[in-house]
Amino acid sequence: MTKKKSEAANEDQTRDTKKKSVSAVKSSQKEKPVLAKQVKSSKEEEDLLLDSATDSDYDGDSLSGSLNSDDFDSDVFDSEDDASQKETEGGDKDSSEDELELHGNEDSDDDDEGEQVDSENDEEDGSDEEREVAEESDSSEDEVAPRNTVGDVPLEWYKDEKHIGYDITGKKITKKEKQDKLDSFLANMDDSKNWRKIYDEYNDEEVELTKEESKLIRRMLKGEAPHADFDPYAPYVDWFKWDDAIHPLSSAPEPKRRFIPSKWEAKKVVKYVRAIRKGLIKFDKPEEEPNVYLLWGDDSASDQKSKHLTYIPPPKLKLPGHEESYNPSLEYIPTEEEKAAYELMYEEDRPKFIPKRFTSLRSIPAYENALKESFDRCLDLYLCPRVRKKRINIDPESLKPKLPSRKDLRPYPNSCYLEYKGHTGAVTSVSPDCSGQWIASGSADGSVRIWEVETGRCLKVWQFKEAVKCVAWNPLPDFPILAVAIGQDLVILNTELGTDEEQQKIEELLRLGTLPEQDEAVAAIVSWLPDETYGGIKIKHFKNISYVDWHPRGDYLSAVMSAGETRGVVIHQLSMHKTQRLPIKMRGLPVCTLFHPTHRGMFIIATKKNVRVFNLQKRELAIKKLETGLREISSMAIHPGGDNLIVGSKEGKMCWFDMDLSSKPYKTLKNHPKDITNVAFHRSYPLFASCSEDSTAYVFHGKVYSDLNENPLIVPLEILRGHSTSSNRGVLDCKFHPRQPWLFTAGADSVIKLYCH
Amino acid sequence: SQALKSLQVNLNLFRRLCIVKGIFPREPKKKVKGNHHTYYHVKDISFLQHEPLLEKFREIKTYQKKVQKAKAKKNEELARLLLTRQPTYKLDRLIRERYPTFIDALRDLDDCLTMVHLFAVLPASDRENLEVKRVHNCRRLSHEWQAYISRTHALRKVFVSVKGIYYQAELEGQKITWLTPHAIQQVFTTDVDFGVLLTFLEFYETLLAFTNFKLYHSLNVKYPPILDSRLEALAADLYALSRYIDASSRGMTVEAKADASSSSQSNDRAESELRLAQLQHQLPSSEPGALMHLVADKEVEEDEETRACKSLFKDLKFFLSREVPRESLLFVLPAFGGTVSWEGEGAPFKEDDESITHHIIDKPSAGHMYLSREYVQPQWIYDCVNARIILPTEKYLVGRIPPPHLSPFVDNEAEGYVPDYAETIKRLQAAARNDVLPLPGVGKEDLEDPQNLLYAGVMSRAEEAEAAKTKKKMAELEKQYHEELKKEVTGSAVDDVAAAPVVEGGDGEESSVPDAAQIAQDTADMPTLMMSRKKRKLYDAMKIGQKKKSESVERIKQRKKNLKADQ
Repeated sequence: MTKKKSEAANEDQTRDTKKKSVSAVKSSQKEKPVLAKQVKSSKEEEDLLLDSATDSDYDGDSLSGSLNSDDFDSDVFDSEDDASQKETEGGDKDSSEDELELHGNEDSDDDDEGEQVDSENDEEDGSDEEREVAEESDSSEDEVAPRNTVGDVPLEWYKDEKHIGYDITGKKITKKEKQDKLDSFLANMDDSKNWRKIYDEYNDEEVELTKEESKLIRRMLKGEAPHADFDPYAPYVDWFKWDDAIHPLSSAPEPKRRFIPSKWEAKKVVKYVRAIRKGLIKFDKPEEEPNVYLLWGDDSASDQKSKHLTYIPPPKLKLPGHEESYNPSLEYIPTEEEKAAYELMYEEDRPKFIPKRFTSLRSIPAYENALKESFDRCLDLYLCPRVRKKRINIDPESLKPKLPSRKDLRPYPNSCYLEYKGHTGAVTSVSPDCSGQWIASGSADGSVRIWEVETGRCLKVWQFKEAVKCVAWNPLPDFPILAVAIGQDLVILNTELGTDEEQQKIEELLRLGTLPEQDEAVAAIVSWLPDETYGGIKIKHFKNISYVDWHPRGDYLSAVMSAGETRGVVIHQLSMHKTQRLPIKMRGLPVCTLFHPTHRGMFIIATKKNVRVFNLQKRELAIKKLETGLREISSMAIHPGGDNLIVGSKEGKMCWFDMDLSSKPYKTLKNHPKDITNVAFHRSYPLFASCSEDSTAYVFHGKVYSDLNENPLIVPLEILRGHSTSSNRGVLDCKFHPRQPWLFTAGADSVIKLYCH
Repeated sequence: SQALKSLQVNLNLFRRLCIVKGIFPREPKKKVKGNHHTYYHVKDISFLQHEPLLEKFREIKTYQKKVQKAKAKKNEELARLLLTRQPTYKLDRLIRERYPTFIDALRDLDDCLTMVHLFAVLPASDRENLEVKRVHNCRRLSHEWQAYISRTHALRKVFVSVKGIYYQAELEGQKITWLTPHAIQQVFTTDVDFGVLLTFLEFYETLLAFTNFKLYHSLNVKYPPILDSRLEALAADLYALSRYIDASSRGMTVEAKADASSSSQSNDRAESELRLAQLQHQLPSSEPGALMHLVADKEVEEDEETRACKSLFKDLKFFLSREVPRESLLFVLPAFGGTVSWEGEGAPFKEDDESITHHIIDKPSAGHMYLSREYVQPQWIYDCVNARIILPTEKYLVGRIPPPHLSPFVDNEAEGYVPDYAETIKRLQAAARNDVLPLPGVGKEDLEDPQNLLYAGVMSRAEEAEAAKTKKKMAELEKQYHEELKKEVTGSAVDDVAAAPVVEGGDGEESSVPDAAQIAQDTADMPTLMMSRKKRKLYDAMKIGQKKKSESVERIKQRKKNLKADQ
């Protein structure tokens, strides 16, 4: 029974070793890259072989070897076997080595081969072995279980036992009988194959190497590869990619820190753990509050007034009208011409929306401006200032002031009654005689004419070389003389209208005898000369005269030139043939002058911007300055009462001044679109008029009450048209008839018109 | 910029704050810096300064910087982590602040609704930063709103314009008008700053959500309505519950139904299938019976107009063809008491239902015609709604060009021009009253009675006014004629002429004769001379306005005349 077993064991062992060697070969084939190790392992085996070779050569040596040294070989193989089943840890390695050593010491007797290696070598070998084992442990063929199952225990434990261990079924494996040393030696010597036998102590059996195995071993001893067909000098394949490596590979060994857990990480972990324990870090997400809830729960709280500014709700969009319908009535759709006309309009004027017609609901396309309009609305909402505006929903007519009925304010001139034709140029000036029977007119063609008012008959004509600027009839009824401004000359004409007595007086007056001494300064400006052609007086000035006005007494007359300071206005005294300059310096260019109708010494001068009132007798500075606020004054007229003044300007505005009340205008009327050329008051009726370049004349009712507390009443009465515009000029002058409510207008169309009531 | 400096914000943030806080520039009494500056009230700015939202925005900004930094350092992990924990803000407090009472909110709801409805049909776009989620939210909100209006029959007027469909509803005395675009894909325009729009939208969404909540709350319905498309089981629950729960929950199911049905049209969306599936579960609950129940148990305190609206389409059953704008009609018809079904999945009743009275169709010709029902174009419904009577359908039959669709928002008398069809409708209305009046008995009609009378009164007054106008015109003409005659008579006698104000001198010498119109004009203008400048400007402006109006009316009349002449 035991024998059988041992035989079987023997078989096993042989098979084992065979396998082992094969696997070793395989492993060496497998692990070409690990050359160093391969070499080592082969070296180790070489040792073995060397031994066996020597064995085979002669026995004495082997004997001695077996005698003096411990036979490790089988041990080595054993341990190799064991290790293949176990792990490769360092500690184990040590222990197995120890065990090996122990073993060696113990089993000095039972060796067939009796090999010898120095013990120094052993350790190395062992470790190398182990490594190799580690390498080849992956091959599954090695996994055949050994016969003995004791495991990796020191075999000395079984030294005194009958068995060497247990087989896989748990039965004891009995030791083979120990042969006598001599017998065994003899047997060995007899057996020719003895040199191929190896004793496996662990399994307690002898293993016989086959021929192939021995060949293998021999090759290894020579330092060749175990297999014949292995080429150790195969061309080198460089597996490493050098493409983008700029640095050579470091040969530095992997640092230790890569293999041990980091201290800092550990600390961090501890920190996190603490934070979690304290509740600083929460893992579950916070509960979501409901997005919507009853915001306006009770409206009682809303009664409190907001502290903020008043909220102005945005204006609602305009609601769409019929034309925005997808299917509007046909009349809302513009025709092709109209659409073309829209294209020509300015961007702002163009209608925003052009109605279109679709015959069915499904044919309506998307509105392309939807986003744009929404955006515009948004812009309006947050960028436009909001203001509450009161919309007046009233009839515009109710805005007009209630005026007294014009019928009650009659008479006033309202229709053209007569036209005086004869001038060939624009009539620049008219002046009615104080009796109201005659009217004088001056024209740009250089003629001065006298007409009979009632019939329109031209009584007299004087022809001058230059255009007539201004004519003015002497206000005294018994001195029918005419002052005419022509260029630089002021001509006093005798109209030869009065009775003989009057004529005599006039001629006397107009005869220039010995002229009185003039001031030097005055003489430089003005010189008195007799007029040869028409037998009057010619007063020559140093500049063109623009305006002439008589004093109500008829003795003085003022002439206005466009010159500054004291020289702009001169006052001539007809009876003395004398001229005075304005005693006061004046700013700006004078435009027109007026003698106060009631107060003797008062003199009113209008410059371009302002009106100043002087007292000539006192020779002091202006006693009053009226601020018109107009851009350029063109004319001025004074109420016969003397307290009210109207001023016309070139921007078409007319100001009414109440001189007692204020220096600001009481009323400013913007009636004309163009320059006002003249304004006039009626001497007795409460009427005043203005005429303008737009060829119209306005007639107003201007009543001044004797009660100082009552404001003057101004009512526009009539717009008089009829003159036609010529060379951009309209009505150049207007004057009232001294007695009747009639108005004379002088037009640039060389016609004088008389408007009657 | 002064405001920016004092608030220490950038312009974008300032604008955003202004939008959500509803702060707008003011017109100062004295513009210190000139005309071309925008002036905010100091109080407004300090109001902004104390806004917690400002702090929140700053926080968000710094947080964004953190994320930015993480990204710049390629720390994707951290960036992702940070992004998940972004600080958010809420606008509810602002809404309460801006609209202390619910009425205030309703008053300003016009723009809100228009915008939300517009964005509900916009395609989501990455470039404009418009997310799908927001579009869906807009859609949901608008449907909720419509469902409420439809349920309470608060809709008053509908007008289909080129720009879209205008609806006007009356809630708590406030007239709310909004515009929904046509259900066609909208296009993005480039000249629009989407940032501003989205900021507005953000506020409006919140506002509308709260408003809806309040409205649903007033109906005792839970908000938000549970009709989540993903929760099909829940929908089934709803259906099961709807049988025996009280009116409130019934209301809810109807809401749900309306919503689901309207949303079922978003066929392009992926989830619509789900919704449809869910719809099938819900639909049985929305049988006409349920609707009738609703109508029956409706509160008594309704005003007459609501009653009128509710009963307009009361006993009619409508079927919508595939090509008609279903969304709009599904909103309008139930709002006026009609029963609707449509072609497609989930319809409550099929096309071959015998009880259908009207089939809405928008094709040139209908395929199979049932004799029991009338085939009309959708415009008929809108016109009926605006006229509040059932109009005769002859003009609206399939294949015909319908009569002009008129705006219900226009006061024809004030405009000065009444289109023909408006008069036709008015006549029909009057006829309807007369028809209704003799019918005895039913309380509803009795209630309508005073209204009818009122209408008639309005009618007669309008006619009267017109007649008076024409009479006046005639009189004027006559007068003018007389005056001219008189002028001719008195022309020669100069002295007598002075008596008449409008007279021309008949002198032989006179060549240019001012015409009568000129003189009349002069006399009319005379008082304007005496007006102060301010008044005169005002007067001129009013005159210009009047002139424009009359001109446009004239133009329309002229066109009409031309058209008639052409025919």
